[in-house]
Amino acid sequence: MKLLKQFWWILPLAFIAFYPVTLAGGSPYWSGLLIFVGIYVILTVGLDLLMGYTGQISVGHAAYFAIGAYASGILTAKYGFSPLGAMVIGMVLTGIVAWALGRPVLALKEYYLAMATLAFNEIVVTLIIGLEWLTGGASGLRDIPSFSIFGLVLSNHVHYYYFVWAIVIIVIACSLAVVRSPFGRTLVAIHSDEVAARAFGVDTAKYKTRIFVLASVFASMAGSLFTHYMGFLAPDDFGVLTSINILVMLFLGGIGTIFGPILGAFFMKLLPELTYQIHDYELLLSGLILIIVLVFMPKGLFGIFTAIWEKMFAKADK
Amino acid sequence: MKKFFVLIILCSVFVIFTGVGPIMAQTKAPYKIGGIFPLTGYLSWLGEYKKKGSELKVELINKAGGINGRQLELVVYDDQSSPETGSRVAQRLVSKDGVIAMIGTASVPISGAVASIGNRYKIPTIIGSGYEVDPKKDHFVFNSAHKTDFAVERPFEYFKGKGITKVALLMPIGPLGELGGGLARKYAPKYGITIVGEERFDVKAPDITAQLAKLRTLGPQAVFSFCTGEPAALVARSMAQLGMNIPVLVSHGNANPGFLKLVSNVNIPILVPAGRAAAPESIPDNDPCKRVILDFNKAHQQKFGEPANYYSAEMVDAVDIIAAALKVVPTADGEKLQDAIEKTKGLVGMNGIYNFSTTDHHGTVLQDMMVLTVKDGKWQVLLK
Amino acid sequence: MTDFSHIVQFFFSGLTSGSMYALIAVSLVIVYKVSLLICFAQGEFFVIGALAMVTLVSKGLPMPLAFVLSILISTVLGALVQRMLIKPIQNAGIGNLIVMTIAISLTLRGAALLVWGKESHILKPFSSGAPIPVLGATLQPQVLWIISITIVVLIMIWIFFEKTKLGIAMRACAENRLGASLMGISTDKAALLAWAWGSGIGALAGMAVAPLLFMQYGSGVMPMVKGFIAVSIGGLSSIVGSVVAGLLLGTVEAYTIGLISSKFSDTIVFSLLMVVLIFKPSGLFGKG
Repeated sequence: MKLLKQFWWILPLAFIAFYPVTLAGGSPYWSGLLIFVGIYVILTVGLDLLMGYTGQISVGHAAYFAIGAYASGILTAKYGFSPLGAMVIGMVLTGIVAWALGRPVLALKEYYLAMATLAFNEIVVTLIIGLEWLTGGASGLRDIPSFSIFGLVLSNHVHYYYFVWAIVIIVIACSLAVVRSPFGRTLVAIHSDEVAARAFGVDTAKYKTRIFVLASVFASMAGSLFTHYMGFLAPDDFGVLTSINILVMLFLGGIGTIFGPILGAFFMKLLPELTYQIHDYELLLSGLILIIVLVFMPKGLFGIFTAIWEKMFAKADK
Repeated sequence: MKKFFVLIILCSVFVIFTGVGPIMAQTKAPYKIGGIFPLTGYLSWLGEYKKKGSELKVELINKAGGINGRQLELVVYDDQSSPETGSRVAQRLVSKDGVIAMIGTASVPISGAVASIGNRYKIPTIIGSGYEVDPKKDHFVFNSAHKTDFAVERPFEYFKGKGITKVALLMPIGPLGELGGGLARKYAPKYGITIVGEERFDVKAPDITAQLAKLRTLGPQAVFSFCTGEPAALVARSMAQLGMNIPVLVSHGNANPGFLKLVSNVNIPILVPAGRAAAPESIPDNDPCKRVILDFNKAHQQKFGEPANYYSAEMVDAVDIIAAALKVVPTADGEKLQDAIEKTKGLVGMNGIYNFSTTDHHGTVLQDMMVLTVKDGKWQVLLK
Repeated sequence: MTDFSHIVQFFFSGLTSGSMYALIAVSLVIVYKVSLLICFAQGEFFVIGALAMVTLVSKGLPMPLAFVLSILISTVLGALVQRMLIKPIQNAGIGNLIVMTIAISLTLRGAALLVWGKESHILKPFSSGAPIPVLGATLQPQVLWIISITIVVLIMIWIFFEKTKLGIAMRACAENRLGASLMGISTDKAALLAWAWGSGIGALAGMAVAPLLFMQYGSGVMPMVKGFIAVSIGGLSSIVGSVVAGLLLGTVEAYTIGLISSKFSDTIVFSLLMVVLIFKPSGLFGKG
């Protein structure tokens, strides 16, 4: 039992490592699904840093997802950049945008912050639609190549699956390192009482902006991964509804937990797979499930795991 | 404890739902075709027509003994009107369901997403939307819908005949508007038409009189608004309310009974480009398509209580094209099937006579498109 | 290039959208004032009100009766939602509450899809009649209805919150919870009433504009976003502010489309909004 307590993380890691060959049985479809799940995990973990730990509401996370995706798509499809280079440029670009926006926008509180983030999401989407010559407009951007690193093309879905999940693990590790560092503890202090934190001489705006930039860069990275897997981009996938979807994944999985988003993303991406025969009911069902989670499981799906976990070890310790 | 109880209920709900799937037991494995339609989301009204039409066509083929002694099976998924979901379900069809061909989609972005899967996995894909297929890049993609160009060129031909030379554009923000605007500028010179002005509008906006008022100052003889369904009806109604009694040309997406209801009390000329299937009674008897349309309409009427329409026709033809190719090469091999489809000549469908080639993956010609108008709640043919 | 009649036409166009945004904004503010919560499901009450009326009218009920009944249905629905879903988690964080109202919105939209299907429904105008020519522009009779309804609702709200004991107590509730309970109204009851008011007005907005639009189950998203923009500009707790902001938003939109660019009108409107938020963090009319 003690061993399990110390090395539990091997279990999910083993699951991720062996999934394509075991459960998915080499099926590109199931690997493909988990690629989308992985992309959304990156998005949601970033949002968790921002909302769960720092308490800053965002209803426009898809904006940074879009900037990353379109930076990658445009640079590789139109200007012949290497996907890796385009991805890095996208991350830098998104980082600069987030840094410039961060200070003024994060000075806003609660609903005003929600509105400002939503507005930025709309601005990005309307610009994508408006600037047809660059983005392909509402009809979409075609002919985006598969991802490749140093000449090695990752067109095989299983290879790409490992690539995406390697990045997911790096993102999660980074996020854990951040929240467990003194920096992360300051974020939590800002969350619980921003005025007090400021009274202690913390430059709260600086901290909030930094975490905002980090979350946005993660989103941009997710966007690049998304682009090369789809091979095609359209603004429909980056609207406020996508932002809300990410928000829902976060609360469903468990906010302020880093691991919760994995469950949330899994759940939200698998739900349509389970309900495709009753698609008219899907909207109602997803709403009801979310209500049940919010009322009965304030810590989300991850809360159930921790509850079971604690019970197990409470017994074992006796 | 309460929490675990809820969890158990949830789990059992899912088990029940996932168990609902139809279990098909058949002796000889059927040819599986994937269907991707927008059954939810903003395109859902179109998706239903396409789903019904293609399912019925498959049923009829099977009743008549199938193809090469094997049945056809249509596996249908919902793309939720979203390219991401479209791409995902296409992937599912290709790798999980093992389909040999795909049909479907209703918008350009979703078609783009699905086409990219079809090309990647070498699965012949027949879409039915305004997506322009470039055979060089989209080797495995065909389009059974009329080219979007026809929906602009034919009405412009009609305008020229009527002496209409000044046209104003009122385009929806979105893929249709971009396409329509581009094509209008492309074909205007050919038919001696001047584009006097262009405005955009948000299809969800409650009021578009501001744009129309601005266009009115430019003195157009007709308005071209390349939009479908509610927005198209809104444009027509707003023009009527502003007293702009000039023809309004809308997209070929409107040739369906639902649109007739939406514009039932609008009294300005509304022009809708459409294929034969939208107004079968107006086709001359010697037109080979007439038989095909009337026969299918009869079955459709019997099953769904309404005839097929221009959109279901696209998908009916898509099924037909695949079936015809399968008769030539009874194969599940994507390359061979693609080749057989590309060699299809003279296939009489509901929307026209299809002649594919290595340079044309659309198959139909300009004359397959007609121009209709609404008269007393019915379609009337202006140009055929 | 553009003559005076167009300036007038743009104004009517803005007034139409603006009145609708203002009504939604008011319904959001009423709920916010009492329970410090913006309900993201307001757009669904908008749709349900309109679709309920379509159904009732098609069943042969006279317009006025269908009108009153539809408002009642939404009001009761709003009260039920507050009691069953919001109250149990009212002490959770603001994030949880926002996501809860999103969940309610998904559920109601899903239910509307099952009840009314995917197709659009048309409601006939409240009164028949040709468009009225004004200064070279034209005005649809239904727009007059929308504006009168907006005015009547505002007067009713004013009377309720300024003149009736219950309303004054509710207002007190928003400002001082303890004081309110001393005046004999619990915060619980005040929140319930506020939700009833909010969902009723939301439905009213939907019914008023339904004859201009084609309503279907998903039509509530856009009005909700626009209403939210209006309250953000006007200040979350200011009824007057939100009305002015709603009208302003509609007018600015119409003139941007008419005079600047219809292609980038949304980009411009949202950018202006961000500028307002950044320089006036609690809205143009908000306090503090």
